[in-house]
Amino acid sequence: MTNNTAVKQAPRKVVSLDKRKAHAGWLFVLPFVIGFIAIYLPVILDSLKYSFCSLKIIPGGGYELTFVGFENYQKALFEDPSFVQILIAGLKQLVLDVPAIVIFSLFMAVLLNGKILGRAAFRAIFFIPVILSTGIISNIDAANTLNEYMGSAAGIDDGSGSSTVTQIVSLTDVSWLFSSMQVGTELLTYAIQLVNNIFNIINRSGVQMLIFLAALQSISPAIYESCSIDGATVWETFWKITIPMVSPMILVNAIYTLIDSFTSESNTIMSYIDSVYNQPGGNVLSTAMSWIYFLIVILAVAVVAAILSAYIFYQKRD
Amino acid sequence: MDYSENSPKIKRETKNKIRVEFERTSWWTRFRLKYLTGSSFVKGLWWLFRFVLLLGVSYVILQPFYTKIASSFMSREDFVDVTVKLIPRHPTLDTYKAIIVSNGYLKALLNTTILSVSCALLQTLSCSFVGYGFAKYKFKGAKLLFALVILTMIIPHKTLHLSLFMKFRFFDLGIGKVGLLSLLGKIIPNIGKWQVGPISLINTYIPLFILSATALAFKNGLFIFMMRQFFRGVPDELEESAYIDGYGPIKTFFRIVVPISVPMMITVFLFAFSWQWTDNFYVNTFFTSTGPKLMPNIISIPKSLDTDYAGKSLYEAAIRNTCGLLILYPLIIVYLFCQRYLVQGIERSGIVG
Repeated sequence: MTNNTAVKQAPRKVVSLDKRKAHAGWLFVLPFVIGFIAIYLPVILDSLKYSFCSLKIIPGGGYELTFVGFENYQKALFEDPSFVQILIAGLKQLVLDVPAIVIFSLFMAVLLNGKILGRAAFRAIFFIPVILSTGIISNIDAANTLNEYMGSAAGIDDGSGSSTVTQIVSLTDVSWLFSSMQVGTELLTYAIQLVNNIFNIINRSGVQMLIFLAALQSISPAIYESCSIDGATVWETFWKITIPMVSPMILVNAIYTLIDSFTSESNTIMSYIDSVYNQPGGNVLSTAMSWIYFLIVILAVAVVAAILSAYIFYQKRD
Repeated sequence: MDYSENSPKIKRETKNKIRVEFERTSWWTRFRLKYLTGSSFVKGLWWLFRFVLLLGVSYVILQPFYTKIASSFMSREDFVDVTVKLIPRHPTLDTYKAIIVSNGYLKALLNTTILSVSCALLQTLSCSFVGYGFAKYKFKGAKLLFALVILTMIIPHKTLHLSLFMKFRFFDLGIGKVGLLSLLGKIIPNIGKWQVGPISLINTYIPLFILSATALAFKNGLFIFMMRQFFRGVPDELEESAYIDGYGPIKTFFRIVVPISVPMMITVFLFAFSWQWTDNFYVNTFFTSTGPKLMPNIISIPKSLDTDYAGKSLYEAAIRNTCGLLILYPLIIVYLFCQRYLVQGIERSGIVG
């Protein structure tokens, strides 16, 4: 009875639950959609347009654009004396840094996950760089002579402030240790660079550590228990259980690290592009440069994702 | 009963109390068998190794902060004295005083607090909103939209530097020179004194508010991803029961989902707040020297400090670091209160999924 009256009172179109849920979904993502269409998309298209134009801001207000084709790109790639060099050097540095950051953050997450004295305090300390060493602070740190001076045992300031170069280990100290082993000097230099760069690496691996920690927490303790009953050592458990279980997060973290180091402000390429932006007439040129850079970023992310996703283990859940 | 020699002896002391006497294996034997074995030796070594390593890395993290703090209290003489390293010999507050007074620290503090808190609140809200939509609803184009979210993360900010500036310098809803406001301006040239047309939003907080409200500000792609992963772990039954009780999706979100996701939202808020606080890029893009004083503007050498002497480079570095410290102190206080949520929120997010 009530059904009948309800139909009479409201003769509206029947919408299925799925459809209504889809509408609700659109409602929730609406802020992003509006922002993307109204702000981001125009900004990207404008940016692409500017990279093909030369720009003049008219003092009275407004601006003037003239289409110049690929001139800016040509300038960036062939005429600018240092852009290509800095680009290649920066990319090389990234290739070395990204694996180091991912491995380091995984290692640290494993350590922080175990039962250890003062775990809460250690965790609090380890996530300090995520919060505090960003933006302005990393800019200040980038050109910081103070730290080196304070860290050195007997530094004498000769006025330049750069006389006290402190290294944790130096190549000459270590090379005799490994001279009997057949490792190339390239590998040795790389390892030593990493050790001396440890502060930088720790600073950049905070978010990754958090993500790995979350992944480690989500592994069921029952699996570890059954492993130890079967007599597996900690070492074996790490390689056979921990690594496969966190492997999806290795992919996520590798891509995150890649993007983060590509877009960070302390990056040499980024700061070079920034310096070009501030030159007179350099704003369109820097836009063109950053588009070239962006294409490389996309390419790198795609390559890394393709390589890593071949090795990922997904736990099937029913 | 039959008492053999080693079996426990039970004595009744009072009405409600008994006493069991038995011969325990000696303390030393128990200790030896339990802890002096090969495996526990290895375990102890591993524990020690871990502890020392964590201690060392903590040192690497904390040491720069310590040197900054120490040098901020040093006076001019300490920088030429080679024997003064980590502890100031003539402690002074002059550096702080000079920066706070002549660099307008308090004004910058107030402005940045207003800006960061409101931006972080907007970002937390919009990102959890969008993340919830991606996590709980299936609709056409959801995958494409999520790819776009990732895209906003990948595009370097520098690519958009000029066009973001142009967008908000001549703010209009549209692409290029065709926009809503300029079209409107052609129909009605001016309302009273106000000329209709593209408006300049430079030196106001509005550009950052718009970006925050639409989840496009700094690293918001990451926040959306984090919130999405978290909401995926929230059981569907919770919302279903809310629907059965007559709640709509929006009401369900605010009444049911938000209260249980507070730790995660605090995490996102903390990130958004501190990254906005120390942000340099957007401040440089949207604010000129005539705009409101914000944190990046206070980094300069105060004129009242005479730096022209032998330790000049070090002293100036120390002053710049003190500026950085003054920027950091409020953040450190916030971090001390929020850090336990940071790990908690992430742990519960169940990002693997």
